[in-house]
Amino acid sequence: MSLSRSPSPQRGGGWSSPGLTTPYNSSSRRASPMRNYANGSPSNVTWASAQARSAEVRGYPAFSTRNTSSWIGKHARRVSSGLSNLPLFRQSSYAEKEKLGRGRWPPGGGSRAADLARMVGRTIWRMRLRFILVISIILFTILFYVTPLHQHYRRTAWLGGGSKYVIILAANVGGGVMEWKGPREWAIERDSVKNKKAYAKRWGYELEIVDMSTKKRYAHEWRESWEKVDTIRNTMRKYPHAQWFWWLDLNTFIMEPSYSLQSHVFNHLKDNVYRDINVYNPLKVEHPLNASYLDPDTRAPEGDGKPDSINLIVPQDCGGFNLGSFFVRRSIWTDRLLDIWWDPVGYEQKHMEWEHKEQDALEYMYRNQPWVRPHVAFVPQRRVNSFPPGACGDNGDDPKIHYSEKDRDFLVNMAGCEWGRDCWGEMYNYRQLSNRLNRSRWDRFKDWIGDYMKRRREANQRREEEAKKKDS
Amino acid sequence: MHFAYPPRKSSNPPPYFPKGSRSPFLRRNRLQTIALCAVGGFLLFFLVSKLFGSSPESIPSGTPPVVLVTVIEPERSHELSDKIKENRRQYAELHGYATFFANNTDYDLDKSPKSWSRVPAMRHAMTEYPHSTFFFYLDENALITNHEVDLIDDIMEKSKLESLMRTNIPVVPPDSVIKTFAHLKGDRIDLVLTQDKEGLAHDSFIMRRGDWAKYFLDAWFDPLYRSYNFQKAEAHALEHLVQWHGTILAKLALVKQNVMNSYADPIREQASDAGAAREGDFVTYFGLCDNPPRNCENEMQPYIDKATRQYNKMN
Repeated sequence: MSLSRSPSPQRGGGWSSPGLTTPYNSSSRRASPMRNYANGSPSNVTWASAQARSAEVRGYPAFSTRNTSSWIGKHARRVSSGLSNLPLFRQSSYAEKEKLGRGRWPPGGGSRAADLARMVGRTIWRMRLRFILVISIILFTILFYVTPLHQHYRRTAWLGGGSKYVIILAANVGGGVMEWKGPREWAIERDSVKNKKAYAKRWGYELEIVDMSTKKRYAHEWRESWEKVDTIRNTMRKYPHAQWFWWLDLNTFIMEPSYSLQSHVFNHLKDNVYRDINVYNPLKVEHPLNASYLDPDTRAPEGDGKPDSINLIVPQDCGGFNLGSFFVRRSIWTDRLLDIWWDPVGYEQKHMEWEHKEQDALEYMYRNQPWVRPHVAFVPQRRVNSFPPGACGDNGDDPKIHYSEKDRDFLVNMAGCEWGRDCWGEMYNYRQLSNRLNRSRWDRFKDWIGDYMKRRREANQRREEEAKKKDS
Repeated sequence: MHFAYPPRKSSNPPPYFPKGSRSPFLRRNRLQTIALCAVGGFLLFFLVSKLFGSSPESIPSGTPPVVLVTVIEPERSHELSDKIKENRRQYAELHGYATFFANNTDYDLDKSPKSWSRVPAMRHAMTEYPHSTFFFYLDENALITNHEVDLIDDIMEKSKLESLMRTNIPVVPPDSVIKTFAHLKGDRIDLVLTQDKEGLAHDSFIMRRGDWAKYFLDAWFDPLYRSYNFQKAEAHALEHLVQWHGTILAKLALVKQNVMNSYADPIREQASDAGAAREGDFVTYFGLCDNPPRNCENEMQPYIDKATRQYNKMN
């Protein structure tokens, strides 16, 4: 093409230079631009208008005249266009006059993340019943533990079975006549009771706090202060549906309230107790019995071996049976034992020797009355009745007897603390320890941060001091 | 017939697809029925086993229901001892019961009187006959004088025992504050005793085997009772036990003396009201007939002869 004439300005702006530039309407193949077109001349096309038109075609504008300032407006459009892809809304889009899925790109531009999101959404929708089920299970679980519902569950006899267990807590031992209680005794009692109350509430057990103060109550004065037996019997009468009764002295502290009695002892009774006293035999009891006139079950080292026949579970400390924390089951056998436990003939002959009263009498019966043995089992001391270092030997390191923080023993029995030891001090320390061991994760985290800061501060101080030393 | 070609298809096919090759037997609703029946069956089985599973252990056939226990003093004339044993054997044979004899030196009594040996002897008999129901302790100085009386039918059977037992009377005569229970069931009784004028008579008593029997015998045999110097040893220990311990009293029935423990003439003044031996009494007791001037053999011989004649007649 030659420049037959000079370039001249045109109405649409700019210079028309047919020779140098590509004509706007290349199909015309004319040397000179046409003057007029019926519906808008192609020469009218500007860059801006072309861009706007192509934006309309593409479906999303690079800029929009409306809602440019509003973020929500921008996204609302995207959301509403995305909705049409959900089956619920898709039906309306079937009405469009194009063939399904042909020539259409899915909204969202087909990016990988959006694909994934859509797939997840579709899967959830397809499995909505199952999905609702899972969600509701999670919700119920949370609700169950947040509300007191779980306590009801744990209490109910045929669900958690908590009401089948009764904790008997002996308070006020020897009080009343013997001595007045000082503030320390009150504090011990308050702490101990609070501890047991919280535990019983947590697992739905019954708690019976019994007043063991000495009273003139019996025709036979010897009988006084042998009240354990009567107390257990009265408690059995009071809770006629309970099965196991757990006797606890006042000077005990449950260190790990998260252990339930069921999981800690009773669910696997056979594994948690031993029936052959030779396993640990500080009393040197001759076992099994060998008198030939006795029946085989009585002579067997483990009775009949069935956990159902266990009616009394006693821990043994370094000196023999310990009745600071023991279990007794409601049974005919137990009725008989409680009945025969205290006998005036035995008492008259032995009351000088039996300084631990019921405990010694029980040991005596275990030794001498063969019918007792097949129904008694022993629980390792530290499972339900750990001792503090002050009891049973001075070192306090007997792995069978003494409390171990590392193993998170269940209960501490400050046995004998009233003789020359500080009951309140021990109780306080163990309470603090229990709280520390059982603090929540958040507290643990906070403590960890605190410790860390403290260590850093100390390290800084040390460095400063060293620096000072060097300077001087 | 064999066809070379498959049969032609029907020209008017059924409107539905023919049923699949699945056997019509396992149709869905029938499967449901089967499952329901199975579950129901298991449930029934479970219930039944629960109900009857706890029933007492199975008793092997040929087990004697009653065992007669007698403790023999080995230093006594063997002739008399043999006659006494023979007296028990006759009775046991007539009724299908068993006998158990022990010497009073068989058990370790640890310096306590030999009369205590009846307690471990009863325990021993229960070990030897672990399935028998009743154990009848009969002192060496007592004889069965009427073989027709059956221990079960005439004493221990539930309604019979309920009619025989004496309720609401002082356990130890004459004036113990502890009285026998008024409302006891005959089948719950585990110990049947008699009283004479002075106290509980323990030369002839019946026990039911079971855990209670072990408990009672072991408690009775407690070394503290044996060392306590009760004036009448095991007799007073027994009186002490029944008065102090409710679980023992609740299993005890007292019957009139002539039911199972009549006293022979020489000791008739020790007997309670209906205790003197009469014609036809089940058991006659001769007391301490060893002590001179009394002589057991002379006193017992007429009764032995009579019982033997009755045995021969019944056999």
